[in-house]
Amino acid sequence: MSTILYHGEPAGPSLTVLAALAESGVEVECRPINLLAGERHTLPDITDSVALDMGVEGEGPVLVVDGEAMTESVFIAQYFDELGQGTLQPKDAYKHWEMLMWCRRVTERGAPAAAFLNCQSYAHPKLAAMDEANFASLTAAIKSDDLRTRWADVRQGKFPDEQVADSRSKIIALAEMTDTALADGRDWLMGDFSIADLVTYPWLCSELVPEAFTGKLALQGWMARMAARPGMTAALKRATVTNPEECWAPGPEINRWG
Amino acid sequence: MAEVTLYHWEPNANSGKPMLALMEKGVAFDSHYIDMLNFDQHKPEYLAINPQGTIPAMTHGSLVLVESTAIMEYVNDAFDGPSLMPESARDRLRIRWWMKFMDQWLAPSFSMFGWKFFVGPNALKAHGQEKIEEQISRIPLPERQTAWRKAVFGLFSEAEMAESGRRISVGIRMLEAELGKREWLASDTYSLADVNGFNLAYAMPLSQPHLANDDLTPNIMRWLRAIYRRPATRECWKLGRTPMASRVEILEQDYIPPRDESEGISSGVR
Repeated sequence: MSTILYHGEPAGPSLTVLAALAESGVEVECRPINLLAGERHTLPDITDSVALDMGVEGEGPVLVVDGEAMTESVFIAQYFDELGQGTLQPKDAYKHWEMLMWCRRVTERGAPAAAFLNCQSYAHPKLAAMDEANFASLTAAIKSDDLRTRWADVRQGKFPDEQVADSRSKIIALAEMTDTALADGRDWLMGDFSIADLVTYPWLCSELVPEAFTGKLALQGWMARMAARPGMTAALKRATVTNPEECWAPGPEINRWG
Repeated sequence: MAEVTLYHWEPNANSGKPMLALMEKGVAFDSHYIDMLNFDQHKPEYLAINPQGTIPAMTHGSLVLVESTAIMEYVNDAFDGPSLMPESARDRLRIRWWMKFMDQWLAPSFSMFGWKFFVGPNALKAHGQEKIEEQISRIPLPERQTAWRKAVFGLFSEAEMAESGRRISVGIRMLEAELGKREWLASDTYSLADVNGFNLAYAMPLSQPHLANDDLTPNIMRWLRAIYRRPATRECWKLGRTPMASRVEILEQDYIPPRDESEGISSGVR
């Protein structure tokens, strides 16, 4: 069986998946790609591309198993755990449900907000500087119309004040939710270390909304423990640039229902 | 064995997912019908169970669970009965991908059309604007209030409706292609992805007759009829109380020809 993990710099969903891979003990071939150069949309030897083309997550990592592209960082993390030591998901059905619920809240509300703000700060200047022909050929390879629109919005600097404010409030809400979950003194979100921790950290480890962390000691302690996790340090060793935390590409869309 | 109670609306969309999953697993449960258009889900007795006021919710002994797809995973993990998730990690990943794609990308578009042409007008007719507005103002989550106002009063822009229409069309083509690869959606065995997908798609030949029919989407029609024939599906749809659930009967027809889009829209008006 041929398995290749294509990933961006260790930030956002690529950080989740690289850290989950290291924590799982599974070994697969990892190939770094430049997400903001559109390299995710020109991967070789893909025989089934539906998950790559239409994934909700946007520019996340792509696991290619025997030519089939598989996406969504939470599910790739579960896949590694299920192939590996099985230590990253609660065994108890109810605790497992709690982890799934947590991950869904993070990916549905926190992730679009974090991707939006990080793209505003870091991806917009790079895409705005790209010449028109290059940008056109990059986006021509994107199959999903709505993802292509998000790329164009980032290039044009379409970051309406209302969505910026909404995104900041969602990061603050995610920080509060995380701090509250840790309030009983536990080390990790679900009690034992799990995919919930790996999914939450990358969306929070950004300096863009500093007030989200003010006075939240449980959250700050958890952030420090996360930064020291073997999975995180292994993931960050895969960086090919000095500031991987500034490497973002268009992510999930903001919920159309408000 | 602790008792299971499911709080649900019609066997449709989110409510139908855990209903059908429980029935496929053979888990006995107390069915507690929540009349969503009477805003039963925002009444104190329901908020005491699920403070978020979302449907469905399930209790299992002292445990309370919400969010339909996550409840289905719990039902599959916690109870004996036929497994609705295959052993292969690769199949499980594909199943989860399709459930997320349907839950977060495709279903909101179907639901926009459903509210605009069917549920919203019927709710206004039944309860009146003033009463509905008052009940929406009691919903705890602000973003849910926004969503309810948009839904009931049909406050979708032309651009939003056009985008939802585009997604429905793309999504139906994707489902057709995927069901051409395997007998079931995303794996070779009947799974949670099929339970999820049926709840989204069972009425498509009625509401999107120009996109889903025996000429254009034979794989989808084969798949819908196969799920409709399952005893659990029959039992589940019997719990419906409104014309919404009885739309499933279209799957008894052996051949469904293409029809004009306008016939689909008018099929929702009661």
